[in-house]
Amino acid sequence: MSIELTVEQVAFLQGPASINLAASGRDGWPCVCRAQGCAVARDRRSLTVLLSARRGRELLDALDGGSSIAAVFSRPATHATLQLKAGHASRVALNAALKACNARYAQQFADELMELGYGPDLGQGIVNLMAASDLAALRFVPEIIFDQTPGPAAGRVLAAT
Amino acid sequence: MKPSLESLRPCLDGAIPSVVATCARDGTPNVAYASQVHYVDAEHVALSYQFFSKTRENVLAHPYAQVQVVEPGSFRHFRLRLQYQRTETQGPLFEYMKAQLAGIAAQTHMDKVFVLRGADLYRVLDVEAVDAHLPPAPPPPDALIRLRRALDVLGDTTDLALLADRALDALTQGFGIRHALLMMLDEKGAALYALASLGYTHSGIGAEVRVGEGLIGVAARERIPVRINYRTGDYTYQAALRAASPGEPRIALPILAEAHSQIAVPLIHGGRLTGVLVAESEDDACFSHADEDALVVYARHLAALISQAACEADNTDPAQTDPAAGPSGPPLAVRYFAADHSVFIDNDYLIKGVAGSILWTLLNEHATNGRHDFCNRELRRDPRLPLPDFGDNLETRLLLLQRRLAERCPAIALEKTGRGRFRLALARPLSLDAR
Repeated sequence: MSIELTVEQVAFLQGPASINLAASGRDGWPCVCRAQGCAVARDRRSLTVLLSARRGRELLDALDGGSSIAAVFSRPATHATLQLKAGHASRVALNAALKACNARYAQQFADELMELGYGPDLGQGIVNLMAASDLAALRFVPEIIFDQTPGPAAGRVLAAT
Repeated sequence: MKPSLESLRPCLDGAIPSVVATCARDGTPNVAYASQVHYVDAEHVALSYQFFSKTRENVLAHPYAQVQVVEPGSFRHFRLRLQYQRTETQGPLFEYMKAQLAGIAAQTHMDKVFVLRGADLYRVLDVEAVDAHLPPAPPPPDALIRLRRALDVLGDTTDLALLADRALDALTQGFGIRHALLMMLDEKGAALYALASLGYTHSGIGAEVRVGEGLIGVAARERIPVRINYRTGDYTYQAALRAASPGEPRIALPILAEAHSQIAVPLIHGGRLTGVLVAESEDDACFSHADEDALVVYARHLAALISQAACEADNTDPAQTDPAAGPSGPPLAVRYFAADHSVFIDNDYLIKGVAGSILWTLLNEHATNGRHDFCNRELRRDPRLPLPDFGDNLETRLLLLQRRLAERCPAIALEKTGRGRFRLALARPLSLDAR
């Protein structure tokens, strides 16, 4: 039975969190790439994360090679952090809703950092970086969710299949 | 062309969190935020180890990681392929990271959570520029030009008083530093005392910090520069103040109430630590890696000049004895406590230690033999003074005493009459009392 994300978790995952994905490459090396948007399915049991295909070439290749996936979401303003893992992730076709998700995410993430005092240069840098014309979308069904907010309790399992 | 690790140092100041990916032995990936990715040298970085995490479990089993770092200002990403080497739990790298982590922890309100247990050292096998097409961040001020400007102001004087003042003024003109301290190591190598200060409401001259305590003490003990880019409670100067019994007199070290950036750089010459140069700012991330490099060079140059000033031969010509105005007015009560060589004037603490002992010796020579004029050479040989064999601390102690008197008791003055010669000038009669 898959995990049903809570309403709060959905809001968190779709909010202005910093998102990073990892996989294990065909050569056994870990690889990481920043994601730029997340859309949770209506049934709250799967999610789709967006990334630039060029920036995530190594990660996408690892996933194509059968690697499992790890995704970490961290809210800069609070440091609240969740890590989700799944045995596999599959590429899905990009649609207008996902493109809109990417644009919305880039702006809200830039706004979040600028509110924290990072300055307009960095905000513009984020928007530039995330204005990707080569978006890829990865869908996965989380099999385990960890609380990874910094501290000794980091690593606590919140839900697992 | 692949960027060098050195060129990524602005990404490693903790402004934007780095991310570390690892794999378990079965290939399951893990991705987490790294509190600190510390530049060690052109081929190594170190990650902070605060508590046992999946990241740590993974690298101990499968010693490979990929770290993603971000350039502040441009948001360009870089990825480092790393191989775990070892964990250090003491020594310069550990102490430096501990100090920096204190700053990062305070910036992220994680003071209670971030305690360094080890510095995990990694070899950097590859550096990838993820966003090579994006424009880089505007370059920071050129530290080499700043250094040259500072050295031009510092000059090459061998007059210690002039040198002490110029050492800090040059920081303002060269680096734009507004708050700084020149701390010198004491004779026993156990504590540092402030010889000159810049930009504080009270000078704090004579204030002490124990070696090993706080930012200044760690820089001295480990002989490394320590730089903190964000405001921290752990490494404030308050915490660094020499622990004293409630009744023990002490001079408050000047501090900024809201120091966001701090740097302490050791003064080393001829393999010996002679002091620590300290600067701070109310702005975040005021001192870059390049500034640290430049200040290390500056401090070495300054240490050489200070050592040279202390070794200059004394002028053996007799001092010109201008008739000095005699003391007048009510006597000043001077009390001396032999236990710690502390001196009080009219019940106000003045100084202790070697400087206190020097003053007491001079005042007694004057009272007994009517002498005004003295030379450094005789003080170096005086068995009453607790000076070590190497006498180059005498000059700095005399300067400290001279400045402390000028601040707190101008009626007693030490006036330089030539190289290695000075005169005791008294504007008031004295009443001496030893306890």
